[in-house]
Amino acid sequence: MTTDVHLLSGAYALDAVGEEESAAFRTHLEDCHSCRTEVAEFRRAAASLGASKAGHPPAHLRPRILTAADRLPQMPPTVTDLHSREDRRRPAWLPRLVAAAAAVAVVGGGASYVLQRGEPDTTLAAPVSQVFKAPDAHTKAVTTARGTVVVATSPSLGKMALDTDQLKSPPQGRVYQMWATEGADGPMTSVGFLTDPAKGAAMEMPEEGVEVAITIEPVGGSTTPTGEKLVSLVPSQV
Amino acid sequence: MASDTRLRLVPVGDGADADELLGQVARGDSAAFAALYDALGSAVYGLARHVVRDPSRAEDITQEVFLDVWRKASGFDSSRGKAKTWVMTIAHRRAVDAVRRSESHKRQDHHGAPDVISHDQPGDALIAAEEHSAVRDCLKTLTDLQLESVQLAYFNGYSYVEVAKLLDKPLPTIKTRMRDGLIRLRDCMKGTR
Repeated sequence: MTTDVHLLSGAYALDAVGEEESAAFRTHLEDCHSCRTEVAEFRRAAASLGASKAGHPPAHLRPRILTAADRLPQMPPTVTDLHSREDRRRPAWLPRLVAAAAAVAVVGGGASYVLQRGEPDTTLAAPVSQVFKAPDAHTKAVTTARGTVVVATSPSLGKMALDTDQLKSPPQGRVYQMWATEGADGPMTSVGFLTDPAKGAAMEMPEEGVEVAITIEPVGGSTTPTGEKLVSLVPSQV
Repeated sequence: MASDTRLRLVPVGDGADADELLGQVARGDSAAFAALYDALGSAVYGLARHVVRDPSRAEDITQEVFLDVWRKASGFDSSRGKAKTWVMTIAHRRAVDAVRRSESHKRQDHHGAPDVISHDQPGDALIAAEEHSAVRDCLKTLTDLQLESVQLAYFNGYSYVEVAKLLDKPLPTIKTRMRDGLIRLRDCMKGTR
């Protein structure tokens, strides 16, 4: 480790490092035990700093939160701790792919979750049909150059799902890749691949202002999209 | 008097049982989740309120944080840190993200504004927790530049690059001051625990 990199631990623990430099620092952290300890200690000190500003929340907030949690499914335990580390690396607004297609992979190393089998009566993966079947599901069909994509959002589940069963298979040597972008022109961050369109995809509801797009990319995926957007979805407008 | 037991105040400052509660939350225990909110809700809300200022936005952030905690409780690894730190880290990131998103334009006009090193506003009904005074005392061990760097980053959501620009100091200086400041804060807080 160079002294210079190590000095970043303070700024990093204060969430005061830009995304690119943060990523480099996290790579460094993986190989530097003492740095991880230091960041953990700094975060604890920062937490005390934050807690020193404690203030009574309004009384109506408690029931609001407890009711909302009551309707929200919990995530299954992550399998390796690499995933939980990845978890912290992702921008807060980035939607997270939940167990959908059997071979979901995320470019740049993202979380992958417990895989579930599709229900017998549908080719859609269980987490996908779950969103479509939610009592409060909103759905919308979008026509694309390669077939119709149906989108469902469920506020109670806090999830969004894509039924891509009617999408033609990607051209030879190509793959459908999903992206999230803050606003129509913001930088695009990979959410994952649509490995098996028949199974669809499900993800945590993106934050407001975040759009989800699909492009066609070379097998293995791209770090930034090279193909045109096949479809671009604004979750709040579903 | 029988009611004495019921009315006994429970210290909420150190979140001592938060670790245990979070373990129960991971197993879907709603009552533990409610207790966790009671233990850490004021810390999360207070931080959010301090960073974003707008009370209703702070409520939304508090809700987002606790729903995150509920959903991701199984991902908490107690061997890596305290539950309270985990929750406050989520809270800080959420609050800072919100302020960066919504005020990236506005705050350019506020560089160097007097509230940069903010003090508690009167009428805010802030809790005078024991930890509060411990942190205050410990913050006194920091140099002015360390304190300013840490606070601008933590409470105003500035990146260290922005802090360097704001204070007109070289980047390595600010990086170092933030780290040294946290070292002092950490060491001093250790003595108070």
